[in-house]
Amino acid sequence: MRDARFGRPPELSICQWVQRFVRFGARAIRGRRVLAHSRIKKFVVLGIDGMDYGLTHRLMEENKLPHLAALRQEGSFTKLGTTIPPISPVAWSSFQTGSNPGKHNIFDFLTRDKRTYLPRLSSVDVQNSRRHGQRGPGVRLLRKSKPFWVVLGDHGIFSSILRVPITFPPEELHGVQLSGMCVPDLRGTQGAFSLYTTESLEKRMCVAGERFVVKRDGNTVQAELTAPSDPFHRNGQRLRCRFDVVIGDKNNVKLGVNGDVHALTVGAYSPWISLEFKADSGLKVHGIARFLVLSTEPEFQLYVTPININPNRPVVPISYPVVYSTHLAKRQGLFATLGQSEDTWALNEGVLTDDHFVQQCLDTTGEREQMFLNSLDRAKRGLCVCVFDGLDRIQHTFWRDIDEEHPAHEPHRRERGQHAIENLYRRMDDLVGRTLEKCDEETVLTVISDHGFTTFRYGVDLNRWLEENGYLKIRRRGRFRRGLIGIDWSETRAFAIGLTGIFLNLRGREARGIVDPGEQADRLRREIAAGLASLTNAERAGERAIRHVYLAPSTYHGPYKDEAPDLIVGFEKGYRMSWANAMGQVTDRIFHENTRAWSGDHCVDHSLVPGVLFCNRRIETESPSLVDIGPTVLDLFGLAIPKYMDGAPLVVAEDGHVGHTVKGL
Amino acid sequence: MAKIKMDSALFSRAEKAAEAAGYSSVEEFIIHIVEKELEKREQSDPAQEIFDQLHGLGYVG
Repeated sequence: MRDARFGRPPELSICQWVQRFVRFGARAIRGRRVLAHSRIKKFVVLGIDGMDYGLTHRLMEENKLPHLAALRQEGSFTKLGTTIPPISPVAWSSFQTGSNPGKHNIFDFLTRDKRTYLPRLSSVDVQNSRRHGQRGPGVRLLRKSKPFWVVLGDHGIFSSILRVPITFPPEELHGVQLSGMCVPDLRGTQGAFSLYTTESLEKRMCVAGERFVVKRDGNTVQAELTAPSDPFHRNGQRLRCRFDVVIGDKNNVKLGVNGDVHALTVGAYSPWISLEFKADSGLKVHGIARFLVLSTEPEFQLYVTPININPNRPVVPISYPVVYSTHLAKRQGLFATLGQSEDTWALNEGVLTDDHFVQQCLDTTGEREQMFLNSLDRAKRGLCVCVFDGLDRIQHTFWRDIDEEHPAHEPHRRERGQHAIENLYRRMDDLVGRTLEKCDEETVLTVISDHGFTTFRYGVDLNRWLEENGYLKIRRRGRFRRGLIGIDWSETRAFAIGLTGIFLNLRGREARGIVDPGEQADRLRREIAAGLASLTNAERAGERAIRHVYLAPSTYHGPYKDEAPDLIVGFEKGYRMSWANAMGQVTDRIFHENTRAWSGDHCVDHSLVPGVLFCNRRIETESPSLVDIGPTVLDLFGLAIPKYMDGAPLVVAEDGHVGHTVKGL
Repeated sequence: MAKIKMDSALFSRAEKAAEAAGYSSVEEFIIHIVEKELEKREQSDPAQEIFDQLHGLGYVG
């Protein structure tokens, strides 16, 4: 049997191993010299995606976050400036590189293909293997520039980088790295769950995930999981993994898969289960998934998480070195590897209950905590960075609990004492306490977030606004078609796609561009920005929907600034790009009430959602920003700041250390 | 990782241009130029493959 490692680099020769060993040794010697003159021994970044400044402040005032409050009192707590737009891939890329988006090339989750206008992930390029004559898919990171930990590595300082967004595929560094946001599932999607049900499909609609109607034969249900097509067969048939479920009684079932039997309790997640997909060619592909039997009567319903890449036997590298994910899995067991491992779509579509979703977030958080705390123990000096995503997902999906005006607000949840958001803030605070216990006086600890949060009550269809104002034309029967497919490009001057961007249909840049670059384009940008500034929502008594529109030429600088959307829309609180517009649909009205569980967001004006910065030392710089963190780390280790970085080192006090002192709170 | 050979004088000019433009290295500068050229010459993936890759991304529907 051959293993499917079709995305892997070629095996290293003995000579290459020797070269690596020598290089590692030389770096270690260089690192010792640097550390001998460094102001610190270790720098720790605990990244909490989406931790909101205002909410954190309020919870500290209510004495609910004692460890963070201690950091504030003895060290620092301040707002942390985020990026334009304040979206995780953009913000964490600026954090990594210390530079504005014009230098790292990430402006949104999505961009468009200039040749076809179709939406694409902005951070990863997956090249079809057959089209380009390769053995397997070519995966390329589209984030440019250089992370500050690579600069540290050039000077021999070791780094542990865990789950920082936009690090897939992993890059070489002096240290170890596990990739985060935008790691795909085994099918190559950003997370497609499966639902197996005896219920008729017509009863339910679905946007994401796959639903399979299964038949119950006595107490047994048989079905199969599917994975990507066999790369060695031209017919493109998907690989399959059969499983069967034997229903014992109302609450207990047995799952048989790949020759193993797992006892499952109805309503409780299974642990991660290894899955092996076999093809006629002898190929084997390894994945992992968790199973959750939702009911056995009157209808059988089984939810299966997206099939994650198995960290033990990754089909494409998800870590550097490749064996690092295997090492982690051996040490702590299997863990979620998908970029966005919390299944928000299964919640949006009512497949998972609130409680099931929260449990999934907490389990992932637990895996990450174990990984992070172990890395702190192992790295005696150098850099440790770990990003936790759970708070971002919980705020996206439970902001309806704290916004009583939200269309999806359910008063009974609060009455039942359900405070998913607050509970996770408390858990993060507890993690900060445990982290502080591991920080001595030569360690600088920062707790940072990439952006804050606010409510998302209305989606705005900017394409519809562009159409109503004569900038965009729909073809006959083109309305509601995804991916900008329904647009008449011969009469369209501007279009919106992604979460905050509007592109001009620029001649020479877009495939069927009609707007001349230069004066005509400048005038059009200003005209659209002025028009959008007066957009109001009649359903909310003329409330403004947009706070500010940014013109890319004056917002970004650097070699990739021309890749940015021409206009970046800073929405007001309560508004965001509509669900449909983000994927390039044009609907029949501008404002869409958001009734989904996904009720909080941060794709608004950057001034509304600053991040947080806590530090165990006093920071004397006013208005710090995400791009300053990398330069600060380099400065504290005694290294020069590279010219390409836009950020500047923060002034960090030598004393005022907070470490073991908060133990026992 | 493949390597290519380049005239030293040209490389030196490229290094200066890369720094002035805000690239983190001359390699990044050269890769960017090659990528821009390839984008003009290569075909895009079919629509369905692109939609599949975006499937499940929490922010879009």
